Amino acid sequence: MAPATALERCATGITGLDNILEGGIPRGNMVLVSGSVGTGKTTLCLEFLVRGAERGERSLFLSVTESSTKLIQNLSTFEFFRRDLVDQGSLVFVDLPAVYDRLGLGKEELSSEEVDILIRTISDLVRSLGVKRLVLDSLTSVCYRFRKDEQIRDFMLRLGQELSDVRCTSLLVSEIGPNPARYSLHGVEEAIVDGVILLWNTRRFGDIVRVVQVVKMRGTAHSRAQYVLDLTSIGILMAPHLKGGREGGV
Amino acid sequence: MPEAQRIFGIPEIDETLWTALPPGWLALLTGHSGSGAPLLAKQFAQAGVGNVPVLFYTTYERTEEVTKRFRDFGWDPGSIKVVNLADEYYERVLVRGLEVARAREVGLSLGEIVEARPKVRTSGSFSLTNRMLSDLAAIDSPFRLVVDSVDFFFEVLEPHDVTTVARQIRHRCQTIGGQALIAAHSIAHDRSVFGLLQDLADLVFDLKATPSGDHYEHELYVEKVAHRPDLTHIWKAVVGETGWQVEPRGSS
Repeated sequence: MAPATALERCATGITGLDNILEGGIPRGNMVLVSGSVGTGKTTLCLEFLVRGAERGERSLFLSVTESSTKLIQNLSTFEFFRRDLVDQGSLVFVDLPAVYDRLGLGKEELSSEEVDILIRTISDLVRSLGVKRLVLDSLTSVCYRFRKDEQIRDFMLRLGQELSDVRCTSLLVSEIGPNPARYSLHGVEEAIVDGVILLWNTRRFGDIVRVVQVVKMRGTAHSRAQYVLDLTSIGILMAPHLKGGREGGV
Repeated sequence: MPEAQRIFGIPEIDETLWTALPPGWLALLTGHSGSGAPLLAKQFAQAGVGNVPVLFYTTYERTEEVTKRFRDFGWDPGSIKVVNLADEYYERVLVRGLEVARAREVGLSLGEIVEARPKVRTSGSFSLTNRMLSDLAAIDSPFRLVVDSVDFFFEVLEPHDVTTVARQIRHRCQTIGGQALIAAHSIAHDRSVFGLLQDLADLVFDLKATPSGDHYEHELYVEKVAHRPDLTHIWKAVVGETGWQVEPRGSS
């Protein structure tokens, strides 16, 4: 029997996560980072980009919900953040609403043609910058203006294909409620992506702790155990989630 | 006829109709292309000069053209506030549309994407109606207003928005004693909406041009005088050195 071909991995730079993922996310995969507010989705994604930029992989943050100026301000409080990566263009922030404005996409509902324009714009940007890591924060905000599930499916399949073609690994942030029945707003997103990383808050001995779990990762024999996620100034630390005490979603 | 009681500054019409009008009123002037209705609209504006502040909203002529037409007939445009709604609409809406079309067709450059920052929205998108009605709201004494023409509103607004504008103008006229004239030159409007405009108007005029031999003869139809159907009339209209004048029909 021939040995299985090892997939090239894109190390997230978050040690605990890379340990679970056999070294990282399979290169070119599209992963949903799903969680409710305050669970650390954006920070996890930003660290993924910073660690990539440090390795010489051009990293792109597409921001829908917050301005890049504010994001960088917040990021500056973390020791792992390096301003010089932004200055030298290794870590690029793009305000998607400003791009919407230029392209006349700032309306409540997008047509299929307009979805096409959006995909083309992101794809052109990724190709011309040579982006190897991309974060879209958030996919929920983008898909909110798609009225049909087919548009979401089309957007994700085509964007995923474009990114995969250039071996760009992507994290798409999905905003969900505290006790969701699914990992995304519409439910179609999680079926299309290659992986799902779920984050949530839980009560433990009176404290609220962040928990992370890799629910799905194609091409990876990963653990589905829960880990406590600690946002420290030097980056994200992960430790096994001990199941003692009273537990409940927050 | 006292200056303060002039509709067009045409004695035969002013004397007949003025006393039938309420303190604030709205007139509708229709006239197809070539009828001379734009000149009559300007004459209406001119007739208010010296009595009340006059606002002239043009939607299809350049501002310089409007002021020149006034001067051609010896009228002073300096006392009239000319607002070019079409220019404002073009600069603030259509130019933006062109930019969007270009960006969509050729794509954005790397710099345009990376450098783009979200704009701080202050007053929302440009609104023709808000633009004009905010001017009206700022007036707190009798005024005279001309919209030449409402055709542009039909082009860029939903029909019910056109009637809303007309209602607002009429309401303002009634509240503070304004005199407004809305001109319409096209016949291609939504008939039900146009009918509503006719209903709203206290006065309805129609300027007609009909071929007669090698020239056109003009007639001014006074089609509606609110509550005074006995005052409706058809006049022969001719352009003199001071603008439109009327004569009894059949006069040579």
